[in-house]
Amino acid sequence: MSRIGLFLCECGPNIAEAIDLDKIAEFINKENKVAGIERHRLLCSEEGKKFLAESIKQNQFDHIVIAACSPKQHESTFMEVLSQAGLNPYLLQLVNIREQCAWMTPDKGLATKKALRLIRAAINRVRFHSKLHEKEIEANPDVVVIGAGMTGIETALSLAQQGRTVYLIDKDKLGGMLKNLKRLFPGMLDPQRLLQEKIAEFNNQTQIKVFEDSQVKEILGFFGNFIVTIINKEKEISLKAGSIVLGIGAQEFVPEGMDQFGYGLKNVYTALQFEKEGLTKIPDESKALAIIHCVGREKLGYCSKFCCVNSMKLAHLIKEKRPDIKVIQFYQELCLPGKEYDKFYRETREKGIEFIRFDKIGVGKNGNQLELKYGSGDGTEKHLNVDIVILATGLIPNPETKDFAQMLNIAVDDYGFFKEEHIKLGPVSTLTDGIFIAGTCQGPKDIKESILQAKAASGRILSALIPGRKLPIEAKASEISDSLCMGCGICVQVCAYGAVSIDERKHISVVNEVLCRGCGNCAASCPSGAASHRHFTNQQLYYEAREILR
Amino acid sequence: MEEQEFLPRIIGFLCNWCSYAGADLAGVSRLQMPPTLIPIRVMCSSRVDPLFILTALLRGADAVLVAGCHPGDCHYQYGNYYTRRRIALIKKVFDQLGLETDRLRLAWISASEGGRFRDVVTTFTQHIKEKGPNPIKKEIFL
Repeated sequence: MSRIGLFLCECGPNIAEAIDLDKIAEFINKENKVAGIERHRLLCSEEGKKFLAESIKQNQFDHIVIAACSPKQHESTFMEVLSQAGLNPYLLQLVNIREQCAWMTPDKGLATKKALRLIRAAINRVRFHSKLHEKEIEANPDVVVIGAGMTGIETALSLAQQGRTVYLIDKDKLGGMLKNLKRLFPGMLDPQRLLQEKIAEFNNQTQIKVFEDSQVKEILGFFGNFIVTIINKEKEISLKAGSIVLGIGAQEFVPEGMDQFGYGLKNVYTALQFEKEGLTKIPDESKALAIIHCVGREKLGYCSKFCCVNSMKLAHLIKEKRPDIKVIQFYQELCLPGKEYDKFYRETREKGIEFIRFDKIGVGKNGNQLELKYGSGDGTEKHLNVDIVILATGLIPNPETKDFAQMLNIAVDDYGFFKEEHIKLGPVSTLTDGIFIAGTCQGPKDIKESILQAKAASGRILSALIPGRKLPIEAKASEISDSLCMGCGICVQVCAYGAVSIDERKHISVVNEVLCRGCGNCAASCPSGAASHRHFTNQQLYYEAREILR
Repeated sequence: MEEQEFLPRIIGFLCNWCSYAGADLAGVSRLQMPPTLIPIRVMCSSRVDPLFILTALLRGADAVLVAGCHPGDCHYQYGNYYTRRRIALIKKVFDQLGLETDRLRLAWISASEGGRFRDVVTTFTQHIKEKGPNPIKKEIFL
């Protein structure tokens, strides 16, 4: 018979005023299922924790039920106290009588009844808690960065500055999208110089090992212990790392098949094509140039947010080279967020660049020139002859995105970009531990934002993977009973982490505890009852439910 | 009078990451609701074995709520899709056993939807109040 200790926390007035704790103590006492009931004003305070630890030792409790706040609030606090008191921390059941009882039930009598039911269920459940041990694994602090654009370069530098070994891999040469650019907005910096500076910094960092012209063939392992196999000049190289940063970038959307924009006609370019080639090939007799914004935005379904400012940058570039050319920007809506871009817009207007808002637009051929037919909201169609048309298109995912997503078991969003763990709280992490995403492979963004993400990802890695420190693994993992398993493999299919596999020799399922995240899906799907979810076993949950219904 | 009123007993399997946090938020925001739902925390809604639901109803729960993250938001990637399928399947079994399918409800409640948690609990309670107690309590079943 276990000695269960019940602790009732008053949480100041929070619980004490909403729930009749005396009545609960009286009732539980009558049932004679616990070895002792203690009450405290504020159990999470330093004094309260001391009280808890001493009481556990004095009364020799071996299972603890604490009726207090949400486990999300203080479960870890109390688990720590249990450890200090010499008790396995998993022998605790925290009952949420504050958030989900006291605070949502106005009637004190009803709240007390509900709290009593919750506490009784917990007492019934805690009997079946068993000691769990938090295991730790060795972790490699090195990092593999895939994609050597601005994002990858920044990530590698930030990590190397802290003494980490970084393997920087690119299927091409260093530089990524930057290689194609002539200038960067809004400061009109020279990207090639920037790139040279960054590469020069590499030379001071012996910890960065660059693999250009290399393809990633395979990635195996898990957080702390990845093995990345790359093919470099027909030679296979195996790299060991604890974490992986994906900075594989994106590519420009080419509006092929969207005939109304005249793509394919002579002197019609996309923004990137123009910057790469068109700029140097402006015909001498050219007098006017039009830039059409938001090409393909409707089709893609999102705003790429850099293209408005990029179009203005192109206007600056053209004016620098050929001040005699008239530049007209055709836009629907301008996206100019932040303190820099609005200023840049005003500077652009001051240079004499015209902005025309259109509601529909078409590009056609008119002799040697290009003819724009557009409406500007007043219902009439206007015509304009220009010599060059630039189509400001957005970014689409790198075609390799889905391959990496599949290889690493991470999600992609509706548009095909990598999906972050949480839109606000986890912008660079993914659902797979140890895999980070940064830059435009996560969604369209400008260079500044890409660098921010690169720094964020390096920060996350620097704080999560510390040389010499081991990584804890989930104690509430699954286990599969050898004797009950019949090897049907359903658990293998439902596991989202590839943590369950079939042992070919014994023909039963086995759990890789390092990969298991402890969702319990396999336990719910097992037809033979072999799979169980530690700390949420069938027995524990059944007895909890049974007491609720008594 | 209050004591006489039928207060349904609803077991709520809440997933740790979304719905349990949503319920906490409802409490933190002091949203008031009937004390009918007794939560059981599970790590993921996909931990809810259909047998738990059946057992709960056969043991006299007036209703069962299974709540998880919104589709696509599962903390464990696809867990809630499995839950959705399992619930659809178990409801078919309900028909065969003569159980009432509307005593089981699946809801998506995110960690930021305290208000939604209250609405789900309130409307579900109201619905079960109108239906009356689980007949299994009176009838001998199986």
